Amino acid sequence: MQLSGLNFVLWVAGFFGHLALLVVLITRRRAPDFPFFTCLILSNVFRTVVLYFTLKYGTKQEYFYFYWSLAVIDVTLQFCVVYEMASKVFRPIGSWAPDARGKLISIGGISIVAGLLLTALATPAAQIWIKAIVVKGNFFSSVLMSELFVGMLVLSAKIGLPWKTHVARISQGLGLYSLIGVFTEAGHSIFGIESRIAPIFSEVRMIAYLCCLGYWIVMLWRTAPEPRQLSDDMRSNLYALQEHTEYDLSKLRAWRKQ
Amino acid sequence: MNSHELIFLVGIVIFLAILLGIAIYSLRRHSRKRGVVDGDWTKLLKRIEAVDRDNVKLVALDLIGYTQESSESTQIAATDIWDLIGGLEGLEVLEQNCAVLIDLAFYLQQWYPEALAVAESLRLNAREIEWHVSRLRAASQTGKLRNSFPDYAQRAIATYYLMTKNVLALYEKSNFPGLIELQRAL
Repeated sequence: MQLSGLNFVLWVAGFFGHLALLVVLITRRRAPDFPFFTCLILSNVFRTVVLYFTLKYGTKQEYFYFYWSLAVIDVTLQFCVVYEMASKVFRPIGSWAPDARGKLISIGGISIVAGLLLTALATPAAQIWIKAIVVKGNFFSSVLMSELFVGMLVLSAKIGLPWKTHVARISQGLGLYSLIGVFTEAGHSIFGIESRIAPIFSEVRMIAYLCCLGYWIVMLWRTAPEPRQLSDDMRSNLYALQEHTEYDLSKLRAWRKQ
Repeated sequence: MNSHELIFLVGIVIFLAILLGIAIYSLRRHSRKRGVVDGDWTKLLKRIEAVDRDNVKLVALDLIGYTQESSESTQIAATDIWDLIGGLEGLEVLEQNCAVLIDLAFYLQQWYPEALAVAESLRLNAREIEWHVSRLRAASQTGKLRNSFPDYAQRAIATYYLMTKNVLALYEKSNFPGLIELQRAL
């Protein structure tokens, strides 16, 4: 099996883009804050190398085996990143915000149902059934990821929880890439994975991902705005205020139970 | 392109349009909040509508069970609560101010990680009032507003009162600009 000139360039660019992002994550000390995201990038470096050499020296069966095994890992890690981003936004004091927990589960449920419905509508033209499953699988994960990120955005805007700078940047990149993924996988489904136009959709997706990588490299390299420091006086006032609020609310809640 | 593919294509277009529309709308809401983060107090304070703080305090303290003069609840009648707050419209003003208070909590969470607990408490209280008002709105649609009003409204008002008291105390201690305007409005 051989790669076309443009595909080879995109693969090489992707490999070095991932390496550059890894360097940024490690040298700028972002990796401890985003362990799943770092694992995702690391797995993509590994994936690029394994798939490249399997494509060059292996058989179709070996490529198929590695492609699917690594795709499952990739999608799993992407959902772990969604969880990581959600936990950064919706756990402001270490536990899930009570007004977010149920809604997040609803968003997940609705997203899965909507994703399955849209995927059921897709009838990708492919010579063998396994290719149709590849297209449907990719389409479903793109739909689900984009829904989850938009859902999180809506929920955070509604309940008023802020996104820290780097969390917002990672989510924007992954969310936008997923949206483009919906478009390209829909193209694969409508025109067929073996059509002449199919490689264009793949290339659009790869270029979009490279843009996303570049965005992450720049944004994660930049320092997030420094949080402001509380004075000792204000800190003690805040603790007193917190105790007072809790006391007031406990009275109010006790009344409601009557 | 057969009819099945056409249905799929239409489905995708609708899906992407809805998703993009929602995302853009939410990003705009976030950028309004970022206005607070950037310190644009004028815009924020313009969104606050004046309420009769004395009436709010009266209704709230009646529920909490003490007043400045006495430790006994005065048990304000339901019709009086309705009049003191100005009915559902008055409650909706409180709801609108709650949205501004959520933005203030947003500001605190964004910039003062140490104040997360207080900010989160304020945010949850504001959300609680929103919930009470939404129940009242539902009751108004089913014609049961007068019966439901005392139950939900007084709780909402009491929570609003406690919350604004906390916010004012917090901003007073922090010497944030715009405090006098905030005190007037809340």
